[in-house]
Amino acid sequence: MTTYTLLIAAPLFFALVVMVSGVVIRNIFAIAFVIGLSFLSISNIFVFHAPTETILPHFFHNLFILLDGMVLLFFLWQGVKTKNSLVKIFALFQIVLYVVVLLLSPTLISNDVLIDEISSVMYLIINIVGGIIIVYALKYIESEEFSRAKKNGFIAMLFFFLSVMNFIVSTNNIEIFFLLFELTTLCSYILIGYRGDEMSVLNAQKALWMNQIGGVAILVALIFSILQYKTVYFDVLIANIDAFYLLPIVFLAIAAFVKGASIPFDKWLLGAMIAPTPVSAILHSATMVKIAPYLMLKLAPAMSGFVSLTITLLGTFVFFAASLLALGKDYFKEILGYSTIALLGLMMALAAIGTPEAIVACLTLIVFHAISKALLFLQAGILEKSFHLKYVNDIDGLINNSPLVVFFIIVGFASLTIPPFGAFIAKFMAIETIASEIIKNPLYVFALIFLALGSAFLTLLYFKVVTKLFVKDVETKTVDIKISKFYTIPSYLLLILLVVGIYISFELELLSSLEIIVPLFLVAIVPLLFALILFKKADRVKEYNCGEKDDIQLNMYYFHMPSVIKKDIAIIAVVGMCILILGVLL
Amino acid sequence: MIEILLILFAPIIGGFIYGFERVVRARMQNRQGPPLLQPFYDMFKLIDKQAFIVNPYHTILGIMHFITLWVVVAFIIMGQNLLYVIFLHLLSSIFLILAGFSVKSIYSHIGSNRELLAALAYEPILIMIAVGFFMVNGSFDIAVIREHDASIASLFLLFLAYLMVMPIKLKKSPFDATEAHQEIVGGVEIEFSGIFFEFLYMAKWLEYIFVYLLLMLFAGDNIFLGIGLFIGVFLLLNLIDNATARIKMKHLIKIVLSLGLTLGMCNLIGLAYV
Amino acid sequence: MFDLKKYRKKSPWILHYNAGSCNGCDIEILASLAPKYDLERFGVINTGNPKQSDIFLVTGPVTYRSRERLVELYTQMPEPKVVIAVGSCTCTGGVFRDMYNVEDGIDRYIPVDVYIAGCAVSPELIIDGVVKALEILEKKSKEMEKALKLFKEATSENGVINRRNVALKVGEVHEEN
Ligand code: SF4
Repeated sequence: MTTYTLLIAAPLFFALVVMVSGVVIRNIFAIAFVIGLSFLSISNIFVFHAPTETILPHFFHNLFILLDGMVLLFFLWQGVKTKNSLVKIFALFQIVLYVVVLLLSPTLISNDVLIDEISSVMYLIINIVGGIIIVYALKYIESEEFSRAKKNGFIAMLFFFLSVMNFIVSTNNIEIFFLLFELTTLCSYILIGYRGDEMSVLNAQKALWMNQIGGVAILVALIFSILQYKTVYFDVLIANIDAFYLLPIVFLAIAAFVKGASIPFDKWLLGAMIAPTPVSAILHSATMVKIAPYLMLKLAPAMSGFVSLTITLLGTFVFFAASLLALGKDYFKEILGYSTIALLGLMMALAAIGTPEAIVACLTLIVFHAISKALLFLQAGILEKSFHLKYVNDIDGLINNSPLVVFFIIVGFASLTIPPFGAFIAKFMAIETIASEIIKNPLYVFALIFLALGSAFLTLLYFKVVTKLFVKDVETKTVDIKISKFYTIPSYLLLILLVVGIYISFELELLSSLEIIVPLFLVAIVPLLFALILFKKADRVKEYNCGEKDDIQLNMYYFHMPSVIKKDIAIIAVVGMCILILGVLL
Repeated sequence: MIEILLILFAPIIGGFIYGFERVVRARMQNRQGPPLLQPFYDMFKLIDKQAFIVNPYHTILGIMHFITLWVVVAFIIMGQNLLYVIFLHLLSSIFLILAGFSVKSIYSHIGSNRELLAALAYEPILIMIAVGFFMVNGSFDIAVIREHDASIASLFLLFLAYLMVMPIKLKKSPFDATEAHQEIVGGVEIEFSGIFFEFLYMAKWLEYIFVYLLLMLFAGDNIFLGIGLFIGVFLLLNLIDNATARIKMKHLIKIVLSLGLTLGMCNLIGLAYV
Repeated sequence: MFDLKKYRKKSPWILHYNAGSCNGCDIEILASLAPKYDLERFGVINTGNPKQSDIFLVTGPVTYRSRERLVELYTQMPEPKVVIAVGSCTCTGGVFRDMYNVEDGIDRYIPVDVYIAGCAVSPELIIDGVVKALEILEKKSKEMEKALKLFKEATSENGVINRRNVALKVGEVHEEN
């Protein structure tokens, strides 16, 4: 029994167990399982020696084909049932293409399962971060009003999701990859539509048809790959790649763009906000969207200069555009959503560059983004459940009620922007990589500009939110609001992960010790000392208000984004993708 | 040794530059102007004043701003990674911005918001300048840049873009809407008083050091050129400061971003082809 | 010993407040800051921010509307501080004396250190007054200085004095004129 089989089978098994058990037993089992999975994924790093390779028996292939057929038919049925023509069309289209794929016969055979370093890193994120979110979800789902079976189903679904994700990062077979891709679509469809009200159903359908575009892209890629290279395996495809026939690669990249909710496919991820918060958390941090950079990393060696340049430009453009669009938003989760889209764009861009540094930067970003986003989404959930807050403008003076949540939110945002956290290191390395690319190809200058502007916008965005938390005048009395342990412990765990991450990046020498420790020490400790000495003598005084004595109400700054800009951005993104396909065709 | 001394006395040197600048500006307006040591008199007076605070976070963040800026200057003098220095500098601005937002004061909020928008305008240009240095010298390390020949000729357009960034950082016309002295009463600084304002005041001096040290990087290992650049740009900035009026924040962002990015882009593309 | 007190007079920062003047004296104040008289050579800066200033330059006879603001600004200035009443109307009410809507001079509300007479005062006089005020400033202690009206005692909590609400709104206390 190898690690990966355990990682895939265990959550699947547990998903079945959880359906029938009571709350207490379910919780105990869930926590035990999460701990087990985390240990497995960590041990996988340590026992890792050479890439694990396996060819699955024929029985499994038939099973997968059967499953695939069922999933596609299910989509079609959903389309018919909800009378959503887009869902129907894409489902039909996929069925036709899938039949074509099955009729073609690839001759070059390779391993079905291939686990390399990248997979091991992905295991870590999926199981540890995903696991922490599930622990959080145990409590969260109890506060919703659903039937017992539906609640259990929710937890089961999350476990199923983990299992699928574990499999998708282990597979080497594009056909299996397609099946799992569709399964994640299915999972997200069910989870987004979980509440069952009108909005949820609509958004779930949106997620469904958009993700099916990705499915179509994979199938097209498969057809091209079989026709030209006679294979359905990633490694064979990449090894035999011919720089003049990159269509499979490009279509796979487009599938990645769909999964990564890049503009213009961003609507589904933003629509996913409607689901219970753990779903957003798990979609944004540990699973689903992380398929996109993972796929890009897998394809990177096969990309020619043109393809890699175009994808980099597209990715950085998305990074820039999404952070720009986020500036006009007020809904906390939506802001987080846009920043996910932006950072995914950056990850894909980095993966497409494909130099060793770029890959390290990409992986660092994947890992840290997962942790930070999970942390932030957990706080969003706490805000909703304990404080009934959804909009940033309302979280005024949260520091009076819950310094802890404020602390977590600030750490979350800080870990995405400033040293010594990993996301900062990744951005830093991204600029270094792009800088060295410019020397080879001046067009990378645009990537640099997008990156520089985007990171400035993101900083603006994050700190616009953070500032809202801080506002405090001395008169307001502090009222503590109790937050359940189930909510805070996962946050603490994520915090520990962040610290461990800093330690590891320190070990790997991504940054020198001087660059990490000195600022941290000086910036945190010295001002406190100063303050302690000086505060004793200081009187408290009112804010300057031109001598006026009336109370004032301060609101947040908004940046108006005309809808024209939105449209333009979408058009540019679509044109970019067209250029990508056309360029490869010619 | 000399490095350590430089780092320790950086704020004081900055204070001298600031004092000298006030004299120069006064002379340009045909006034006598304050004494050269005026900034230090101000400093001692501020230490002597009764200290007021609005809330503790605000004050601590203000001090953090100062310390971080000092670290930034130290890193430049020690010859660390330029890109890292620029990001650390961004961090210091962020502390100031957070401080401004942490009090319930209108002017403070306006000032912080403008500071944030200004950061948006100059940050991309600073990054481009760093990349420009990388392309010319093959390294982001300031120590390496200092050992190479002057790169001002090959980075001339970026140098021009940097000239636009400098007034923003030094709060000089026409790009001084962030502070806008009488209009929004100093913006973020408004709620600081006594010794706590002193930290912000010294941070301003450090900002001088930061800006001019970055400027001197354009001169590489040529010290005379560096000093020449410093004096020339110093006079030029003050002349412009005296001769122009403040422009709106909106225009500031538009002008700096559009012009600066175009200049930077042309320069980088040019470098890649040469 | 290194005496910080002597630097007080080397860097006086000014807060200028118009409590209902006719603007005559305000223009003179600006004139004294401008190149011809160049008050900046004494290190003067017109800050416009009470929290960072040492000298409170007030013009105008204190109209009813401006009473609260006058006291509020005064309390927001950190000690040591001096108040200069610029112009006759600021000292005694001047041409506005006994009008229904003015208070006849700022010294009914806040303690004044230097009175500068003249309607309008000349810049030379203003400079002279500022220099006089600096002498007074040097001798002052850091004890809290209190406004005469619209003012209540500061509370202290754990040894920290809270001045937030010491300046009152007009309606908050009973005033006898
Ligand atoms: S003293 Fe005379 S000139 Fe000055 S403000 Fe009063 S009325 Fe106007």
